[in-house]
Amino acid sequence: MSLDRQNSVKEQRRPDRAALAIAAVLVTIAGTIFFDVARLKGMAGYSQIGPATIPDWIAFALVGLAIWTVIAAFRRDFPEREHQEFGPVVWIVAGLIAQMLLLRTAGFSIATGVLFALTAAGFGKKRLWITLPIGIVLCLVIWLIFAGLLQLSLPAGPLEHLFL
Amino acid sequence: MSTFEFLLQGLASAAEPMNLLYALIGVTLGTAVGVLPGIGPALTVALLLPVTYRLDPTGSLIMFAGIYYGGMYGGSTTSILLNTPGESASIVTALEGNKMARNGRGGPALATAAIGSFVAGLIATLLLAFIAPYIVKLALVFGPREYFALMVLAFVTVSSAFGDSTLRGLTSLFIGLAFSVVGIDQLTGQNRLSFGVPDLLDGIEVTTMAVAMFAIGETLYIAAQGNRGPETVEAVKGSVWMNAADWARSWKAWLRGTVIGFPIGAMPAGGAEIGTFLSYAAEKRLTKHPEEFGNGAIEGVAGPEAANNASAAGTLVPLLTLGLPTTATAAIMLAGFQQYGLQPGPLLFATNPQLVWGLIASLLIANLMLLVLNLPLIGLWVKLLTIPKPWLYAGILVFATLGTIGANPSVFELGMLLTFGLLGYVMRVFGYPIAPVVVGLILGPLAEQQLRRALAISQGDVTVLFTSPIAAVLLAVAAIALILPLILRARGRGEVLSQMAASED
Amino acid sequence: MKHVFLASLLAGALALPAYAADYTIMAPAAPGGGWDQTARSLQTALQEEGISGNVQVINVPGAGGTIGLAQFASQQKGNPNALIVGGYVMVGAILTNNAPVTLKEVTPIARLTGEYEAIVVPASSDIENIGQLVDKLKADPGSVSWGGGSAGGTDHIAVGLLAKAAGVDPTKINYIAYSGGGEALAAILGSQVTAGISSYGEFESQVKAGTLRLLALSSEERVEGIDAPTLKESGYDVVLQNWRMVAAAPGLSDEQKAAVLADVDKLAKSNTWQETLKTKGWADTYLAGPAFEEQLAKDIAATETVLKDIGLVK
Repeated sequence: MSLDRQNSVKEQRRPDRAALAIAAVLVTIAGTIFFDVARLKGMAGYSQIGPATIPDWIAFALVGLAIWTVIAAFRRDFPEREHQEFGPVVWIVAGLIAQMLLLRTAGFSIATGVLFALTAAGFGKKRLWITLPIGIVLCLVIWLIFAGLLQLSLPAGPLEHLFL
Repeated sequence: MSTFEFLLQGLASAAEPMNLLYALIGVTLGTAVGVLPGIGPALTVALLLPVTYRLDPTGSLIMFAGIYYGGMYGGSTTSILLNTPGESASIVTALEGNKMARNGRGGPALATAAIGSFVAGLIATLLLAFIAPYIVKLALVFGPREYFALMVLAFVTVSSAFGDSTLRGLTSLFIGLAFSVVGIDQLTGQNRLSFGVPDLLDGIEVTTMAVAMFAIGETLYIAAQGNRGPETVEAVKGSVWMNAADWARSWKAWLRGTVIGFPIGAMPAGGAEIGTFLSYAAEKRLTKHPEEFGNGAIEGVAGPEAANNASAAGTLVPLLTLGLPTTATAAIMLAGFQQYGLQPGPLLFATNPQLVWGLIASLLIANLMLLVLNLPLIGLWVKLLTIPKPWLYAGILVFATLGTIGANPSVFELGMLLTFGLLGYVMRVFGYPIAPVVVGLILGPLAEQQLRRALAISQGDVTVLFTSPIAAVLLAVAAIALILPLILRARGRGEVLSQMAASED
Repeated sequence: MKHVFLASLLAGALALPAYAADYTIMAPAAPGGGWDQTARSLQTALQEEGISGNVQVINVPGAGGTIGLAQFASQQKGNPNALIVGGYVMVGAILTNNAPVTLKEVTPIARLTGEYEAIVVPASSDIENIGQLVDKLKADPGSVSWGGGSAGGTDHIAVGLLAKAAGVDPTKINYIAYSGGGEALAAILGSQVTAGISSYGEFESQVKAGTLRLLALSSEERVEGIDAPTLKESGYDVVLQNWRMVAAAPGLSDEQKAAVLADVDKLAKSNTWQETLKTKGWADTYLAGPAFEEQLAKDIAATETVLKDIGLVK
């Protein structure tokens, strides 16, 4: 997606390039659907509507919407976007990725504690040496309540094993 | 003994101090687990069911009812305050409820949700007690074609949640529909759009999608605003309690929500969320304050919350009269009943009246207990909003991922959470409404399956879709709902309508 | 807030005393379903009989149990304390999903319980017996709509087997798949479909109440207390049991396998387990060791054939 280009397209009269990109994404989704369900043709049975029929309808509709989006892009019908700061987004996404990677090995508390600290950093609290311990302790308490007492199955790591 | 005497007897035993304590523990536990986004009442009940096994039947039924109601209400609380609907039935609550909370009206929103749930629960439970056998006859008349017509009606009416642009609303809906075909096709067992990934075979989990789109997308969007927004939200503007105008606007919505939710819950393939969609659409059409919809209209919380609770009681109709578990929660309840050697079925009311009435009395008591516990806590809940942004949103992400991990501890599921979170963020940036995606994901498979079943039974004859009286009426209502706004717009009332359709995110 | 947590701590502490870990049972399904209930009943019985100090249940839902099975086979290799619950549904799911991990990659221990398939019609139907239903099927296969569970599941397989036994082309059956037992039952009760097929337990209370007419069961012999002929005695050679089993991890030594088998054997014969079977209404179809492995191989072969006949597996 061409999020980054939105500022360069300030001049009027030129098509909204972000909107064109959205149309392209819609067409890609439609194409993927057409391609994938093509192998399911001829399984309709008695209903005459097989596993491929409805996906095809949806894909046609997406193509139609993509055309409409292109028209809207040329008429500049899309609302003005607010300025986006990407620094915070990167922090939070990094937090979610870190949690995903650490969950199995480091256990729930450490993984989710990292997510906590990085999210707080995204919102301006960048002192990780303070936020990280807070996050891990908080998540450990949550783990003890939900996994220890309420039997939710949350992955345990070295820290959790100290308590069980 | 008459129906009424059984109920009184059940109430008397449920009102014993020890049983009240069990109800309190159940409601508390249910709320504690239910507030996790992604963990709805079904999973809450499943997780906590073993706790009830250690009690005598009466005690455990009561605690069970408490967990059930607590789990449902917990979901509404976080939807309203944090815009993190964890299950399909509270998505609509978040639309208006979170706007209210942002405007410092979180207190009245929580109150109308709690009282509305109570009123709807009360009425629906009484309906269950007295007219269940008649309702169930009606529900069985619903075959695939009638359901298909109902889904068409739902599609048309939820378009009122589409926001201010038809193009972007429809695009959101069809993105949701495209996601809805992922996974094994129910009717033929063939996998579609799963690209050999086993985790995709069961399709995209609605709760994962809802949590990602709402909670994570929202967090990213707020973060990307940088320091422009206020550091904290003003938690209470005016009264924390509902004022006279709130009451006046809520009570009718509660009753309408109950009337819509109960029969839909009673239908074996109805689903609680459809009642909430229809109720929201109805409130939006009937309100005297259309300009507030999309900016925090109290009817938009009161109606769907009542519909949600009424339909939860409605699902007990087929469960108790026919032994049909029609929702995940009902299936788990069935497991709970079997613990006492109780086999729900057509003979249950005749062979086990004490337990049935005990359960109904327990539901009434638990419902009351929920109100007693939660109304005083509203002041505390809304203080959540005064937590400074870094801590609040870090906490939201911890709980959002906790819910997903708890429901299915899989790295893949977390990856989906991140992907859909980013999608939700990008859609917000470009002014696409979020709710239609989730609506499409829920309604898509239902509509497709019912259509294909109807046509398979008729061996491909399309006319059957219109020849059943119920289906014909539902389709006619859908057609009117579709055409009427166009006529109104043509007559120069377009201004009002476009205001009514203000963006919700 | 404080009170909420205090109360939950209190209730939790009362309900769940901590033990050291022993057996871990995977239920390859979401909490609440049949496999989950089996796993949790095993958990209770193993603990109460003192066979195992602490038993944990983990749920890995998805795709007819094949996701849990794949995870179990790869992560628990050689672990003598890991068990997985499964059932006949897995056999079909592995084949239709073309799953990478099959039942050959775990160590089957024992079949614990099973249910027979029942064929019913609504009480208002003019079909009185299985012979009339099959005649109708032979005359016009499309006119008989069958309401049952998911496509390629046990119910669908049973209809395919019956069609084949009656000399009807299995690809011609008009099978209407429903997601849950409840939904299918509602469609049958509402006469939306011609006939219904599912585990007998799903229909039991309706049959007793007289709202459904039971035409036949898929058991080997007549079942005591159920007034219906078997498909076999009616002249259609179809015997099908929707069983549930417990299996151990792959790569166990013979001693380790014997130890697990001994524990499960002790469990199956214990009072607690027998009591559980009774309250849950599960039939005791216990079959362990080599006899079970042989039966399993037979089931897999027969299922593969019929799924190919129906056209679900290529």
